[in-house]
This record gives sequence, C-alpha cells and structure tokens, in this order.
Amino acid sequence: MNEQEPSTVPTSPPAASAVVTGAAGWLGQNLVRRLARSRDRVRCLVVSDDEASALAVVSPVIETVVGDVRDPATVDRLFDGVGAAAVFHAAAVIHPRTSTREFFDVNVGGTQMVIDRARRSGATRFVHVSSNSPFGVNPSPDHVFTEDSPYDPYMGYGQSKLEAEQLVRKTHERGDIPTVMVRAPWFYGPYQPPRQSQFFSAIRKGRFPLVGDGTQRRSMAYTDNLVQGLLRAEVSEKAPGNAYWVADAEPYELREILDTVRLALEDEGLTVSGPKPRIPRVAARMAERADALLQSRGRYLQALHVLGELNHTIACDISRARDELGYEPTVGLREGMRASIRWCLDHGERI
Amino acid sequence: MARTVLVTGGSGYFGSILTGLALDRGDRVRVLDLNPPGDRADELEYVAGDVRDLDTMRSACEGIDVVLNNVAQVPLAKDRELFWSVNVTGTANVLLAARDTGVGKVVHTSSSAIFGIPETNPVTEETPGRPLEAYGKAKLEAEFLCRDAADAGLDVSIVRPRTILGHGRLGIIAVLFEFVAEGAPVYVLGGGDNVYQFVHANDLAHASLRAADREKPATYNIGATEFGTMRETLQALVDHAGTGSRVRSLPTGPARAAMRAVAEMGAAPFAPYHWLVYGESLWFDTSKAQEELGWQPRHSNASAVIESYEWFLANRSTLGAGDRSHHQSPVKLGLLKLLKRLP
Repeated sequence: MNEQEPSTVPTSPPAASAVVTGAAGWLGQNLVRRLARSRDRVRCLVVSDDEASALAVVSPVIETVVGDVRDPATVDRLFDGVGAAAVFHAAAVIHPRTSTREFFDVNVGGTQMVIDRARRSGATRFVHVSSNSPFGVNPSPDHVFTEDSPYDPYMGYGQSKLEAEQLVRKTHERGDIPTVMVRAPWFYGPYQPPRQSQFFSAIRKGRFPLVGDGTQRRSMAYTDNLVQGLLRAEVSEKAPGNAYWVADAEPYELREILDTVRLALEDEGLTVSGPKPRIPRVAARMAERADALLQSRGRYLQALHVLGELNHTIACDISRARDELGYEPTVGLREGMRASIRWCLDHGERI
Repeated sequence: MARTVLVTGGSGYFGSILTGLALDRGDRVRVLDLNPPGDRADELEYVAGDVRDLDTMRSACEGIDVVLNNVAQVPLAKDRELFWSVNVTGTANVLLAARDTGVGKVVHTSSSAIFGIPETNPVTEETPGRPLEAYGKAKLEAEFLCRDAADAGLDVSIVRPRTILGHGRLGIIAVLFEFVAEGAPVYVLGGGDNVYQFVHANDLAHASLRAADREKPATYNIGATEFGTMRETLQALVDHAGTGSRVRSLPTGPARAAMRAVAEMGAAPFAPYHWLVYGESLWFDTSKAQEELGWQPRHSNASAVIESYEWFLANRSTLGAGDRSHHQSPVKLGLLKLLKRLP
C-alpha cells in the first residue's frame, strides 16, 4: 500500500480503479484528490457541468459523469466499462432544501441504485459513507457509541441513513459485493460548503450559542482522517461485512470545540470579538421538538435542526477501526480547524 | 521559432492588443471569441465559440502550442452566475482542453481583484488572495484551477494585471475621459491620496508573451513601475488635456454609498469592484516579472492614461457602434451626467 503509513493490519492491494459518488462534495473532493494520486482511473459522479470541469482539472485519471444518483441512466454511465473497481458511495442529502422526501429518494433510493450497478459491473468492494444519525444521541454525556450500539435514528436523515445501512448489509450478506460501512460524525476540513464559513463567522462574531454548560460531547472527523479511514476500509482484509466508527482520536466537549475554533481563528490572524452567548438547554429542546414536528410533516429547517442537535452528546469509540482497519487519526482539532479556516480565507470566503 | 498561439477572448479589448503583438512577432494566431476580431482579421484564424463549451475548446486547441487565456466576464457584467460559469468553468475547460490536446504552455490572465483591498502594499506573488466581491472571487477560483492543472502536469503560468489602460480602452474609464473632454471636474475619493497603479495594455501583452516563452508554471504581478496616487495620475491627465477640468475630492463614505445606490438603480455604470477599490491603495511589486522575464514596462501611470485619453478623443465620434466587449464599449453615463453640471 502506498497511500498510508505501513500498518500491521492485513490488507489486500487497492483496486486500480475507483468510483466515487458525491465526488464534488465536501468529503468527495478530499477523497478524489487523494485517490487521483495513486489510481489509474477515478470515475466521479457529480451533479453539474461546472463541477465536472473543475474536478477533471485535478488529474487526467479523473473521469466525470454528470447527473443525479436517482437517475438509472446516469448511474449506468457511471459504471460503464469501469470493471473491477472500488466503490466509495459518498452521495447523500444532509440538509434538504425543502422537503424531507429528498432524504429517502437520495439516501436510500440512490444507494440501492449504486449498489445494483456496482454489483453488475464487478466492483471489488463497496465502501459506504454512513453517519452517526442512525444511532441518535448518547444516553449520557460519558457514553460512547460502539459498533454494537443499537439503532435509534435521529429524525428523517437518521432514518434514511439507517435504511441505507440495511441495504448495504444485505448486499454483503447475499455475497453480492464485499461491503464496508464507515460511520462518520460531524466533519470539518477543506472544500467545505458555505455553511461552514457561516459557522466560523458566527463563532468569530459571538453569535454561535453554547447550549447549556457545553459539557455535552461530540465526536468530529477531520476530512483527511476520514479519507484515511475510507481508504483503509477498502483494503483491510478484516473489514468486509462490518461497520466502523471513524473520527478524530477522542470526542470533544462542545465548549472545547468552540474554544478551539476561537483559538484557530486567532492563529489564522482573525480577531475574535463579541460575547460567548449561552442558551439554556430548554431552548434547544424546544428547537428539537419544533424540528421533529416539522419533519413529521415533511418540512425541514436547517437552523432548527442544528440547534436541536447541539444539546446532545454524539460521541463514538474508534477502537475497532484502529484494530481492524489500522486507522490512526493524524490531525487534531486545532490543526484541522486552522486548515479549514485557512481554506475558507484562501477561497475568498468571508469569516 | 514560429508558434501557433490560441488567444481566447482575442477579440476583446486586451485580447486584440495581445493578438496584434503575437502577430507582430511572427506567431500564427487563432482567436476564439464570441465576437469576430475587429482588426487584422485577415492575418489570423477566427473560431467563433464559448469557453463554457468543453468540446468547442478541445477543437480550438488542436494544433496549438500556446494558449493565452483572456476570456473574462469583467466587473461591468453584474450577473453572478455568468461570472462563475465564464471565469471559473470557462478556465477549467481551457485547461482541460489544453491538457487533452497536448498544448505546451498556457498563460492565464488573472486580475488584481483577487486581492480586494490589501492590508499592506506592495502586493507580491506571495500575498494571499482576499477578494471582496463576486468578480474577484471567481478570478481567484480560476487561479486555484490553474494550480490544480499545474500540479497535474500542465505548464500553466498566471499573469495578474493592475487596472489596464491604453489605446482603445473604454468601459468604466470612458466615464472619466468624457468628463475631462468636456472640462467638467473629475472626482477622487477622499483626498485621492491612495496609491493606485495602472498598467498599459502593451506592457501587459509583452509580459504575457514573455511568460509564454518561459517554461514551468509561475505567477507574475504586472503593473507600471512609475505610478503615484490617484490624484497625481488624474492631475497629470487634466494638465495634459487643458480643458479646464479639475480634480475634486468627494468624501469617501457618502460617495461610495452613492455609487452603490445609483448602480443598484441601474442608473450608473458601476459594479461593486469599482466602488470598493477606487479610493484604496493597491500596487504590485513587479520585480519578479522584471527579474525572471526580463520584462520592463514602457509606460507610467500618467503616460498610459494620457495615451488612452488621446485615443478616446480621436475616436469619440465613432464609438458605441458594433457588438463589442464591455471594455471596448463606452458605458452609458446615466445619472452621472448630473455630476458634470456641478459648479
């Protein structure tokens, strides 16, 4: 293996070809750029011609297919002639524009479509990007999810990612393709969407609330760490049929996350001003209830959803990824947040 | 050695000057543009096309040694999606087509708009881009694409011009010339003591061609080496014109707000870039281009603005005809006419 540090975990060689869905997305960009360094061919699903051209510039091994993961003809073209490739399925809707229907059409229907075409084209392995959402929130601030934790999906997104996991598991059990699921919590890093600049900006200007005392914990994953986890999921001989939590080394307390972002902003030469607003937990609980009510009627409001979730501990234990994938996160919160902030600034985002 | 050069945007203001210089030095020239070239059309090959179309770009790059990429949707066009598709996706397509057809060198014309209002001057090639509006942001993203392409093995260099002047330059500059010609006052923001650098189109074209001759990806900041404050430059112009026009100060805050307001009403030809930078200092350290390219500008701020003005006077009666780019067409003054009547 030439992509990572040597590992003691038994591995097979990576496939020469890779297929990536959601390739122009936040995680996709990081993954594709890494794959392009070592593979002969990286076939990418993107949603627009603009994305296709910009991504193709990165390397001659990148081939783009423009279209929607829900569209059978598009997914046919994605797999046309790729043969024995590793498939990284990163396409998903996390914040739908209006209706929660998108969660199920894209996250479940799209996954089924990609699995089906991957099987028929002889994919070597199907690496599925999953989430913490099928597991809801931890019962107490000191609890961590393991791979044995029971499903308890958090609202529409969580339900859709749960159903996608079930599809992936059946695919493996039927012997169609060896599959590995990588469960990533809240991630951060370069190629982020504009909402992440708003997150930084809100913290810088004292507009991002700390809910309660901020001792609730969150696992986070720096994108490079997550990419390493995905690449190892492709080659680890122990991994097929399993799911793994992949995140930074340890969960962080929410107050630590906000304080670290403030420090990282200052590290990058930005003055951090304003108050450190706090809101009581009851306000977040109300937001959560309103979010649930809206989602039960098919509606989605991003701000409500984010505020409701901030009240909770969503933490995981990465021991099994360490043991069975040979995964070892190399970037920590402050360094990762600095890189993330620097990327925003370098690309003309206002923070 | 004669080369075959593709000039994208070669019918536009700077593109046509660059095309002329390339022809003068013996290059075979193909122009890709939405509009046909105005002059020397019989000496070059014209391809009608849009950089947003990758297939068009691929066929335009066939048999080409050097691509000089000058297509841009300039600040006067205020459509954000258009900015992105032309400046970003268009650049990506040029880079892809160049790579796929084995072009040996690409020189991409960027913009000082990527620097917004810099914290300190001079701005060097190492100064990070910090654009303030949609145009600068799109041009910065295009530079990132150039770097991605260079990392993937394409030989692409970036040339960043300060505000371009020279014969044939109109666009927003024509507003100024119109006022001077009529003896009306011309305005600076605040005291006009912001250090503002221009570059003559010929000097820039020479820099682009020299960058094209030099192997390996590099970035060059290009501007006049003799320059001063905005007030000094305009003073040199009104002194030369002798029309009785004088340089006047407008208070920065209210003037900027007024520019924004009338522009948003569609009553004056300004874009955000104009009201943001007109009163600010921005100048390049051009020593890298001088040292590595052996490039030397012939024009100062003053001589460039005076030459542009003389061309404007000589051609004033025939301007506004034909289907030309933003920088080759006089803009409509709109409400700015009122300024001319101020005592």
